[in-house]
Amino acid sequence: MGFFKSVIDVVALKSDRPIRRLVAYYALLALVFLALFSVFPQMSMVFSGERLDELSSAPQVLTDGLAPGATEDNAVTLPSQVQLGLSTLLTVLGTLVLMLPVSWVYMSSRKSRVHDQTIAQSLLIMPIVVAGIIIVVQNSLALAFSLAGVVAAVRFRTKLDETRDTVFIFLAIAVGFAAGVQELMVGAVISACFNFALLLIWHYDFGRNALEPTAAAQWKEPLKDLALKGAEGVPDRDLAMALTPDKAETLADRFTRIHELLGSEDRKPRYNAILHMSAKSSEEAQKRVEPVLEKVAKRWKLDEVVNNEGKPDQLYYLVRLKKTASSADLITAVRTRAGDRVSGVDVEVTDELAKAGTNGKNGKNGKHEKNGKKE
Amino acid sequence: MRRVTACGILALAAAGTACRPRNGDDALLQQRAARLEQALADSSRTDSSGPLARWIMPASLAEISGLALDSSGRLFAHNDESGLVFEIDYRRGVLLKQWVVGERPLRDDFEAMAVADGRFFLLASTGKLYEFREGESGERVPYTVHDTRLGNQCEFESLAHERASNSLVLICKSMRDREIDGVVLFRWSLDSAQAERTPVRQIISLATINGANDWEEFQPSDLSIDPVSGNLVMVASLQQALAEVTRSGDLVASGPLPEPLEMAEGVAVTRDGLLIISTEATRTAASVSVYRR
Repeated sequence: MGFFKSVIDVVALKSDRPIRRLVAYYALLALVFLALFSVFPQMSMVFSGERLDELSSAPQVLTDGLAPGATEDNAVTLPSQVQLGLSTLLTVLGTLVLMLPVSWVYMSSRKSRVHDQTIAQSLLIMPIVVAGIIIVVQNSLALAFSLAGVVAAVRFRTKLDETRDTVFIFLAIAVGFAAGVQELMVGAVISACFNFALLLIWHYDFGRNALEPTAAAQWKEPLKDLALKGAEGVPDRDLAMALTPDKAETLADRFTRIHELLGSEDRKPRYNAILHMSAKSSEEAQKRVEPVLEKVAKRWKLDEVVNNEGKPDQLYYLVRLKKTASSADLITAVRTRAGDRVSGVDVEVTDELAKAGTNGKNGKNGKHEKNGKKE
Repeated sequence: MRRVTACGILALAAAGTACRPRNGDDALLQQRAARLEQALADSSRTDSSGPLARWIMPASLAEISGLALDSSGRLFAHNDESGLVFEIDYRRGVLLKQWVVGERPLRDDFEAMAVADGRFFLLASTGKLYEFREGESGERVPYTVHDTRLGNQCEFESLAHERASNSLVLICKSMRDREIDGVVLFRWSLDSAQAERTPVRQIISLATINGANDWEEFQPSDLSIDPVSGNLVMVASLQQALAEVTRSGDLVASGPLPEPLEMAEGVAVTRDGLLIISTEATRTAASVSVYRR
């Protein structure tokens, strides 16, 4: 399985985009099938559709045996029971490989984070059962009625929570049917079309009610809550409410970084201060400041550079000061070394951050550059 | 909503099935028929020129066992082990229809088939005759069984309807009584009630069948009755041979098949002088070949 995944990775150019991975999967499947078909032409039995022809009343044009190679191409060398066993096995394997991507799509293209595991498993197993039933029933009306009777007696009705789940179940039945009547190609096309259609629908959020909040609008409520929390919330309410989803995402990242800085209660934080400064040129400032950090800090990391058009760049360093150095020492050293290359040098130490909670560095607008260096 | 979605999917599936491309191609079929007519009209062709046409059978007819023509010249074939009957357009190479004997496909060792005025008979090797009617495509037709009680005498392999005597002619492939040296056939009358039927036995000696040939045995695998002359035309799979005898058992002709054919299990002779031979699948696919007599 791991090897198969690696091959898909290679074919999909290591892309995580589901459509690319699906294309890679189906391309790989087609290649494997063509390779097998060239070695074992008898595999055509699962694509022959003969069981469907048995059900059909349409005349069937026979192959011209005087055409070159016609007789050899249709050679049948296996006993009928072996053929039946092989074709059934191929049918089962065929349904599995066709339903595998369907189960992936089922598990990934959802609004909620959870999915019903039993349905995901059923998607793989159900087509096998359906195909088996079709093979056994063949075109016998009596067997079909018997099957209906058995099903009615068993009463295995299960309530599905979502319409979408029902559609997946129907697809599983369709693929199983196609495989059962030796029309695996139909099943393959249905499976592929279904997957791609569903991914596109999911990607573009097709059918969304215009009155429902957009994904962007959904940011508003949490931000509103954050702004209304008084001392524990964001002090600048207007600023918080003006955040776009992208900016709110950045803010969340910033919160995460501060959380990392503060560390959990039972572990010693890796850094204990944030060095913040403004500079006309962030690159120039870095050249001046970082030698200072080498001297006074036990470890440091350039956490973020914010470039604002028409305004000085903002630089944030995460720092763990040496025991012999204080925050004042750091500020003095930076100012001395950088001179007028930097302005507004400020150090927030862990205690101050803890007091301030998460309202320390929010609301920064502009383009963000992430860069870093670890000692 | 769910219902609508489900119905929509089912409708799409049904539409997809209905729109599934079929192999039908009128131009191709016309071309095939014209080619056969042209070959028939070509006086330079001889028996050794090979078949006029050959059609490859689908897997469901891989074990094609017997051929039968009805009075209007339609060709029917059946499967060896299951009661599946097919109508074949041998001029254009089309499997016209298929139907099933019995509610489930009937299972037996079917060896031959005959059509007598719309009544279809399948012969099992044990001498049992299954009578049924022609079905529509895909139809399942009921059947009745006639036990000829001849199974203790021989293993049957051939069957045909003889219009002159309105009886079914059954030919043994191998007799239980090894003393009999020749081909044994029975006539099973269709005129009398079953209780009154006493099959009439006829023996054609191997010497008669042999003619100029030197076969040690002649084991017919199928029989057809020439609709014009009423002669019995037998094909022997093991000997890869054909023999034609009159009703009274006089040899008309015997010799090898028009070409070497393995497992030639069915034969039919048409009113316009065509010889049709079916072969079961062996190393090659099952086929129906058409020759000029």
